[in-house]
Amino acid sequence: MNSVVAKSKEVTLLEILDRVLDKGVVISGDMVISVADVDLIYLGLKVLLSSVETVEKLRGSPFTSPVQEAR
Amino acid sequence: MIANTTVETESPEEFIEEIEKTQNCLPKKIDANPKTVEKGLAKLVLTLIELIKKLLEKQAMRRVEAGSLSDEQIENVGETLMKLEKKMDELKEIFGLKDEELNLNLGPLGDLM
Amino acid sequence: MKLYLYGIIDSSEQVKESIYGLEGSGVYNIPYCDIGAVVSEINQPIQKVTKGAVLEHEAVIEKLMENFTVLPVRFQTVIEDRDNLLLMMQSYYNDFKDNLDRLHNKLEFGIKVIWAAEKIRENIIKALKKGKQKKLEPDSLQGRKFMTEKFEKYKIDKEFRAKADKFIRVIDIFFSKFAAEKKLGKLKTENLLLDAVYLLEKSQEINFREAFEHIKSARPDFKYLFSGPWPAYNFIVLSKKSGILTDSQQTDLLDKVTQNRMLVGADSI
Repeated sequence: MNSVVAKSKEVTLLEILDRVLDKGVVISGDMVISVADVDLIYLGLKVLLSSVETVEKLRGSPFTSPVQEAR
Repeated sequence: MIANTTVETESPEEFIEEIEKTQNCLPKKIDANPKTVEKGLAKLVLTLIELIKKLLEKQAMRRVEAGSLSDEQIENVGETLMKLEKKMDELKEIFGLKDEELNLNLGPLGDLM
Repeated sequence: MKLYLYGIIDSSEQVKESIYGLEGSGVYNIPYCDIGAVVSEINQPIQKVTKGAVLEHEAVIEKLMENFTVLPVRFQTVIEDRDNLLLMMQSYYNDFKDNLDRLHNKLEFGIKVIWAAEKIRENIIKALKKGKQKKLEPDSLQGRKFMTEKFEKYKIDKEFRAKADKFIRVIDIFFSKFAAEKKLGKLKTENLLLDAVYLLEKSQEINFREAFEHIKSARPDFKYLFSGPWPAYNFIVLSKKSGILTDSQQTDLLDKVTQNRMLVGADSI
């Protein structure tokens, strides 16, 4: 069913966003230029997304789609 | 060889709903717009009062459970908490705030709420 | 040229295969001692957080995971230039090295479990009603009535949380034996019983997945989400909050603050 695939992609994206925006190594200091948005996580992860670009638009990538969605 | 990263679930919609709920728990940054400043500050103050109220209630409940409150004390504490709750409801209404808006996500202390 | 930082790896060698990152730029490793910072050159730090950029970022990290231990760096970390990057590496070297050693050969997996909170509460209320021996004397006093109602709710909540703890413990027992480290988020919402991340040795992945299948069949009424493998996003421990101050600078600053306190009078601070 189409909407199940769409929802699966959405939950995958939420999982990635949670890690990539909020976890991992956070380096602070003058030498780091971080985009303001990333610090506004409390607005809700999805609200931050300003455009819906698909993975297929990746240019010249010699590797396949990074994250497989649930079937 | 590492398999590609996957996210597997048979209930994506339910998880989306719950994950989004967990993300809306921190107060939004305080807007300096004078119209919303008042509401923003009210929210902050009421959230803190709500927190203290819940802590007091929890304490009271523990003592009721332990049987260490006299009848008179139960009546007095009950009346006080009742009045506080009524006042909170009034203030919430004046500032147009809902219960969910006053819920601080305190992380490991989250149990308090 | 500004440098977009993806992750820190446990190697000072070049990245062997071609990887492309944001803006389609080639990704390469800038070595520092025995570790390295994986970057790509970027013209404009992206002004907005876009789905495409996030996925591109994640894709680079997954590619790196195949051959290295990676400390993934937060999205949109851009360093002014190479010199600043090396300063940063110098500042964080011990932290990075410690983490790389600890996380070597390990993967992160995420488990989320949803339970039917409302149903659980209903059952608790039913059970409590059954156990009620006598009806309390008519509450003519308002305060007392209020307290009685609060106490009912309190008992239900307590039982609810106890049930949650019980289930979480059982689920955790299944997974713990294969995990080196873990972080459990309990009852983040009423329905989200568990939001956990486990750090495992690569060799334990199969056992871990098997354990997951067992849990699913043991409690088919719950809903499950399984994610991974991830690089160890949730298990990075940095002792430095900011990379700017060296140890001696920190000591100097602390001395100054202490002196000021003595001048002003510590009580008034």
